Amino acid sequence: MGEGELLFLLKGFKWTVVLAAVSFLCGTVTGLAIALLRTSGYRAVERTTAAYIALFQGTPLLMQLFVVYYALALYGLEIDAWIAVAIGFTLHASAYLGEIWRGSIEAVPRGQVEAAKALSLHYFWRMKDIVLPQALRISLPATIGFLVQLIKGTSLAAFVGFTELTRAGTMVSNQIFKPLLVFGIVGMMYFALCWPLSFFGSRLESKFAAATR
Amino acid sequence: MNYKFDFTPVIDGLPALLLGCLGTLWLALSGMALAIIIGIGGVILRDSRVKLLRWLVIGFVELIRNTPFLVQIYFIFFALPLAGVRLDPTPTAIIALGVNGGAYAIEIIRGGVQSINKGQVEAGLALGLHKLSVFRFIVLKPALRAVFPSLASQFVLLTLTTSIASAVSAYELTSVAKRIESDSFRSFEVYGVVTLMYLVMAWIVMNVLNFISSRYISYPAK
Amino acid sequence: MKDKKLNLNRRQLLLTGAAGVVTPAVLITSAFAITPDEIKKRGKVIIGIQGDNPPWGYVDSSGKQQGLDADVGGLYGEYLGVPVEFMPLEVANRIPALTSGRVDILFATMAMFPDRAKAVQFSKPYAANVILLIAPKSIEIKSNADMAKLKSIGVARAAAQDTQVTKNAPLGTNILRFDGDAPSIQALVSGQVEGLGGNMFYMDRLDEAKPGYWENKIEFQRIYNGACTRLGEKEMNASANAFLDQIKANGELAKAYEKWMKRPLPPMPDSIEGVPFVAS
Repeated sequence: MGEGELLFLLKGFKWTVVLAAVSFLCGTVTGLAIALLRTSGYRAVERTTAAYIALFQGTPLLMQLFVVYYALALYGLEIDAWIAVAIGFTLHASAYLGEIWRGSIEAVPRGQVEAAKALSLHYFWRMKDIVLPQALRISLPATIGFLVQLIKGTSLAAFVGFTELTRAGTMVSNQIFKPLLVFGIVGMMYFALCWPLSFFGSRLESKFAAATR
Repeated sequence: MNYKFDFTPVIDGLPALLLGCLGTLWLALSGMALAIIIGIGGVILRDSRVKLLRWLVIGFVELIRNTPFLVQIYFIFFALPLAGVRLDPTPTAIIALGVNGGAYAIEIIRGGVQSINKGQVEAGLALGLHKLSVFRFIVLKPALRAVFPSLASQFVLLTLTTSIASAVSAYELTSVAKRIESDSFRSFEVYGVVTLMYLVMAWIVMNVLNFISSRYISYPAK
Repeated sequence: MKDKKLNLNRRQLLLTGAAGVVTPAVLITSAFAITPDEIKKRGKVIIGIQGDNPPWGYVDSSGKQQGLDADVGGLYGEYLGVPVEFMPLEVANRIPALTSGRVDILFATMAMFPDRAKAVQFSKPYAANVILLIAPKSIEIKSNADMAKLKSIGVARAAAQDTQVTKNAPLGTNILRFDGDAPSIQALVSGQVEGLGGNMFYMDRLDEAKPGYWENKIEFQRIYNGACTRLGEKEMNASANAFLDQIKANGELAKAYEKWMKRPLPPMPDSIEGVPFVAS
């Protein structure tokens, strides 16, 4: 494998990182909104949000990408292919993060919420200063775990023609006919990106577990 | 919106799609069976006294969990033949699903095994039970029953992951959907309906597993 | 502790939040019919092309779009007077990308078939190709029935070879469909399929992988490639036809053809059954 091919893989790797980062960041914003709606206390809102989460957790990511990709085009907007893909991943992330954070919001001891209400703290401040800091801290291992899932999920963008690392690998392998080498390297690149995050997440998890012992 | 919806190709293709669902479930079941076997095997090796075996399992789990499934299945299908191992699409998919699910199953089952009270093991040994019997009846069986819910979620996840196997032309719902889509060019209609089919499948699987769990697996509440 | 400035009560806050999440989903609908003038106004033409199918369209190691379609597409951009943005597409994605408005026109190895002509508008043909079956030299295949000798045949899903192999192979042949030219070629090279449906240019690449192992067996069909625009967009179709007439007349098409195809430009038919060249 020559330098040109390696550079092409690295370019795909760059797009994987960009896609994952953008989707994760946008997903945290929307995911937080979903989590708050899901725990708002209004039955109708909670039910709708639960349905939204169930939709994304009960269907394959590949299908979600296809539907978003083609649905967005129906509206006639000229959206760049990679923005369409990013929107697809963002929606996916918002559902999963929303569910993770809902769990951790509900895990914050009720007593704290009741005390905050007794002190007539407004919902906004109650969330911002009391509940969310604790909830997000509790959820950190799971959130990092999902980030790893998202990075791996970007490989599916290959199916809508987006040249991220996996598709770059297929294209290089098709030009030099060395799939063992190429996919081995591609796998190593994903590993290099994901494993440190996974390791960090599990370290956090044992630290938190130690704290509660 | 100047796009005219046309669901006829989907309706005409419904029998093929339903057969595709069966293909998906078959892949998921076979994959899960292999995953549990790998899971139990991995748990045994993980606590072995031989350091090399321990590290092999740890390395395997970390490798599988930190690389995408698509890359894994491409590797098995396109790269392994060059090393002498050539598998058809369906066996490729089953092995890829089994290996991938197995890595997660190892962690899940290990969690269950570690939650078994050591006193129980000691009691079993004290009663003269063979080490293997102790492992089978006192450690493994209760552990599996305890982590059944986690394994059930893993199974649903595996069912959804089968859609990626379409990349190597394995027989399941997404492959059928892609064929209908390429014949009719009705991308949104086809994939929209197929997405709902996956949702229904996942819902049915989840409910069946919950039923089994509450009736046969879960311990009665104290 | 009560912030007097923040007067929203909980309900209003949630409704605002909900509106914020929902609003992006309610997009302004707009038609995307396009004319050459609109393209000139927009300042660039978006051309759908193949990314992994040399010598028509492929992306080289430095990320640059190359191939016959890239050269012809570049000439079209010059004809319109705007820069070109190439969008590499998977085989099965080409027509959906055009009909959904992602690209303005396709120069993407689009073989001209009547059933495709129902979904898109073809221009006059600008390239010729042969769809054929590739198999190991050691297996004798002279007729369609002989295809049964092959354990499996791979094709790129939705490509012309998919249609041809599906149509001509005897019942019960194991046909594996992959998402694109690249995986189907890889399947042949790695031994996952014994035969491969492809076009006449595959052998150049296959000979690189394993020289002298495979050969072209059955010629299914001679086909022609045309540029594609959306049905009903008359100006785009007229513009494409006028452009192709121009580069045929001034020899630029012949030059690009010889460069990439390494063959002289063959004569193009004046009409193809079931495929209108001009929008009605």
